[in-house]
Amino acid sequence: MTESAKTWVYRHTLNARICHWIMVVSFMYLLYSGIMIFLHFPELYWGKVGFQGHPAIFKLEDWGISWEEAELLGDRRWGRNYHYMFSWVFVINGLVYLLWNCWQKKFYSKMLPSRRELSWNNLKSEFARHLRFPILKVKDVRGYNVLQKLSYLIVLFLLFPFMLASGFAQMPAFTAIAPELIDLFGGRQTARTLHVICSILLILFVVIHLVEMLLAGVFNQIRSMIFGTYEISLEKSEATE
Amino acid sequence: MTKAKRLENKNDKVLSRRSVIKRAGVLGGFLLAGCDTQYYKPPVVRDGLMGVADIMTMASQRMLMSNDQLVQEHDSSEITKNFPVWNQSNPEDEEYQRLRAENYRDWRLPITGLVNKPISMSLRDLKKLPRRTQTTMHICEQGWSAIAEWTGAPLLSVIQAAGGIKPNAKYIMINAYGGWYEGYDMFDVTHPQTILAYGMNGKDIPLGNGAPLRLRVERHCGYKQLKFIKSIEVVSSVENFGRGTGGLNSDYDFHWYAGA
Repeated sequence: MTESAKTWVYRHTLNARICHWIMVVSFMYLLYSGIMIFLHFPELYWGKVGFQGHPAIFKLEDWGISWEEAELLGDRRWGRNYHYMFSWVFVINGLVYLLWNCWQKKFYSKMLPSRRELSWNNLKSEFARHLRFPILKVKDVRGYNVLQKLSYLIVLFLLFPFMLASGFAQMPAFTAIAPELIDLFGGRQTARTLHVICSILLILFVVIHLVEMLLAGVFNQIRSMIFGTYEISLEKSEATE
Repeated sequence: MTKAKRLENKNDKVLSRRSVIKRAGVLGGFLLAGCDTQYYKPPVVRDGLMGVADIMTMASQRMLMSNDQLVQEHDSSEITKNFPVWNQSNPEDEEYQRLRAENYRDWRLPITGLVNKPISMSLRDLKKLPRRTQTTMHICEQGWSAIAEWTGAPLLSVIQAAGGIKPNAKYIMINAYGGWYEGYDMFDVTHPQTILAYGMNGKDIPLGNGAPLRLRVERHCGYKQLKFIKSIEVVSSVENFGRGTGGLNSDYDFHWYAGA
């Protein structure tokens, strides 16, 4: 309506904003360098052993890119160097985020869904709301909705640790440090395959995250992730009452 | 660490809660005492953030490792039938081809540099040394892995046959036919599973896998497992080899430390 109908809320803490953007940069580098490494050996196997000629569960060749073409596209030397470097950036950034937040009460109330939110009815209606277009009809955009909370929790505490563990399980040093970890995955090649599958899940998350952001208003969303403040139109929230 | 503890660790293959606590203790000990950090970084540290990341990777893994800890060994039924042949499969080297034509009869392994008694060993000499057989997984940096049984002489006993190292020795440079060379620090040299292998799956090592002698340094990627070994030199500095980074791979910008 008018200017007065709008208000500002402080949505993202400084820590969340800094860690978010460092994560974005390191995630992009990890993804790109991971693809560069993969292209130099574009096959996936299951079990302990896998090599060119061994029965593969995925071959890039089957998708029209030959081994030689893939090799020209990839650069594993660059890829390996940057993959390790940015995994350190990623891990340290993640640890800083967790340490900074773990003693803050508001972090838990922001991230953990309440029992009411987790009720079957609420999950159903939230899911239905997300499938509708447009989806912005929500009373309180100050906090995250339950599907948001759950997806963030899954990414932070399930997929990220899984990427790390399946990465460790591929390292030769871990055949001495913790062969149990490699066995837990069911062999080195299985760990490698799951590492790739998990990265696809993460890409899927990023795509959904970006689409949601587009629908909710790019400018407002990005501004809030940089400056912390998020604009709420009171008129709109009243209209849904 | 006391001697008794070390012996105890040797059989500690299963990651029991006790061993986790013990390892955590070792880690804490390193952090507190700032202990023996010479094995925490490569001979030449790369510039910038990349060098920092290199040291963090190497140091964090080395903190979690001890030389009493063996790498996982596999059952002989898991041996890969057609083990891949990667990189050079038959060195284009006149001397090598001459030796190969005579089935390596005149092949010799000189062990020189900072050792007390430089020697030159034949294959027969090597086979007289204590022998070790291990069924381990070869992990290529590109992504493949395969299992083979390797038989050979521990690198440590080969160095001991040359009278042991002098106090200022820091690295071991291994040269191979075809122009490859690679450096290793004493942490890897003294590991019981670091062997100079002359046998593979119960037979002599086939040509493509590095005949007549190749290195197995099990806690590293494939590119550290030098094939077609020509000579060993114990050195205090790696600067006179190639571009001076401590190996052909690191000369071409791969990590010198290949445990990750």
